[in-house]
Order: sequence, then structure tokens, then C-alpha cells
Amino acid sequence: MSTPLTGAVPGTRRRTSAAADAGPEPADWVLALTAGPGREDALRRLHALLVRAAWHQVLRMRGMLPGAGAVQLEELVQQTADEAMVAVLGKLSTFEGRSRFTTWAYKFALVQAAVEVRSQAWRSRQVVLEDAELAVDLGPSVEAYAEAADLAGAVQTALAEALTPHQRRVMLALVVDGVPIDVLAERLGTNRNALYKTLHDARVRVRTHLEGSGHLPPARPRRRRCDAS
Amino acid sequence: MRRVLTATHLASLTRDTRPWLSCEECFERLDAYAERRAADPAHADPVMDTHLAGCSACAEEAESLVALLREDAVGPRPR
Repeated sequence: MSTPLTGAVPGTRRRTSAAADAGPEPADWVLALTAGPGREDALRRLHALLVRAAWHQVLRMRGMLPGAGAVQLEELVQQTADEAMVAVLGKLSTFEGRSRFTTWAYKFALVQAAVEVRSQAWRSRQVVLEDAELAVDLGPSVEAYAEAADLAGAVQTALAEALTPHQRRVMLALVVDGVPIDVLAERLGTNRNALYKTLHDARVRVRTHLEGSGHLPPARPRRRRCDAS
Repeated sequence: MRRVLTATHLASLTRDTRPWLSCEECFERLDAYAERRAADPAHADPVMDTHLAGCSACAEEAESLVALLREDAVGPRPR
């Protein structure tokens, strides 16, 4: 994978360069980042990790920002890494060692970068939140077309009858219109968690409606969730 | 405005995303989950897998982290 502008993968180049210049990484990242003479070095290493993760994510989603040039991408990555750095240091006391520290830190930069790319990609796009006429196009490749068409009709009925207007608008925006959940959350002044709960509840209602109409088999009794991880 | 439902939409609209797991809890578990998936692509975590099947944003971030860990495993370790 390479950037179209430079022909190199920025994160890889930085990583290789950092690897050549630096000694072994801290055995105890939390301790190294908290105090002591090695703190500055640990902070520098952490930032390099976050830059690498941010580049990784931005390059994965590069297609969402077709107009962005090298400078814009570099700014996006640096800004994302800086924000992730603040988040990681703020959450340092919550690191429980369930994974390697580097993996734990990576996720802050990845998520931050993904959210920022989605936000930039949709910055000038309108999000329409309204009830709209629903048509069905199952395409020629759907097997058992009649059954699928019957299910599609039942889903349309369930959307209309089983959901609140808010649930319906959120569900259609996320699932049918493809609005990224972070973008919709930003537009509605809420957060990803709340919107995913709305979507989850809407799916449960749709399924219950379809079970009632005989379009889905009844749900099996569920065991309580066992948190093994 | 007119929306067109496809077979893919229908599958997502009717997806069973129980048991419930929030995006916040998903984020909390993401690092340990990704390490297991990176080490063993067949690793199954039904609660996480269910959430990721129903939340495309979390799914993208999880796939990305797994991919990054695999890159680290075959390339020079990041410092």
C-alpha cells in the first residue's frame, strides 16, 4: 500500500526510521509515561506509535477523501495522533494489561482517525432525516425471489408500524442511506453509543414484528451473557 | 425522497444484534479481541462478533486494528 503522491507508506517509513534511531521500547509503558528520566523518550515513542496507527487508518479510508492532498492528509494524521495522545495519557490509569500496551494505544488513534475521516468525507453532504417512500429492488440474483419479496413487504410494514418515527429515521439513515454513525451522531447532537442503541432497539422491534407475522422463526430463549473476555 | 431497499439492506434491517453490546463496551474489548483475531483468524467471540456484524463503524476499526497487528507481526516492530 502506498500513497499516490509519495509512493511510500508514511507510517512504515516513520516506523522504520524510528526503529533505526531508538533503543528498546519501555518494558513498562505506564510507568515510563508517568514519571522518571525516560518519560520524554516514552512520550516520543508513544506519539510515533499513534502516528503510525493514524496513517494506517487514514490510508485504509483514503477513498473517502478523494480531494485530499498530501498536506491535508499529513495534517489530519498529526491532529488525530495529537488527540489520541491526549486520550491515551488521560486513560493511562485504566490500562489493565488485557492486551499489549501498544495494541491498547493503537486503538485510540485508529478510532480517532476513522471518526475524523468520516466527518471530513461528509462535511459538505446533506443528511436527510425524513420518512420517505420505500421501494424494493432485490436484483436478479436473489434466490427464492418470491419469498424475499414477501419478506421485503413485511419489513416495510414493520418499519411503518413497529418503530417510532425517531427509530425509523435513524435506522433508514444508517442502514439504507449509509450515513456513518459518527456523522449522524454529530448532526443530531448525540453520540455513537446512543445511536447504536436506537438501531439495536429498532432491529429488535422489526424482528419481533416479523416473528409475529410468521416471516421469521420465533427467537430462541437466550442465556445470560457470560463475559469471558 | 425515495429510498430503495436491497437484499443487503433487508439483511441489515432484520439482523439479530442480541445480546446487546454498546459501542463503548466494544471499544473497551477491542484491543484484546484484535490480538486474539490477529493470532487466530478463526477466533470467535460471539458477543463481539454480533456487535461488529451490526455496527459497520466498529467493524471497520476492528478490522483495521487486526490488520495493523498483522503488519507488525511480519514487519519491523514499531517503537
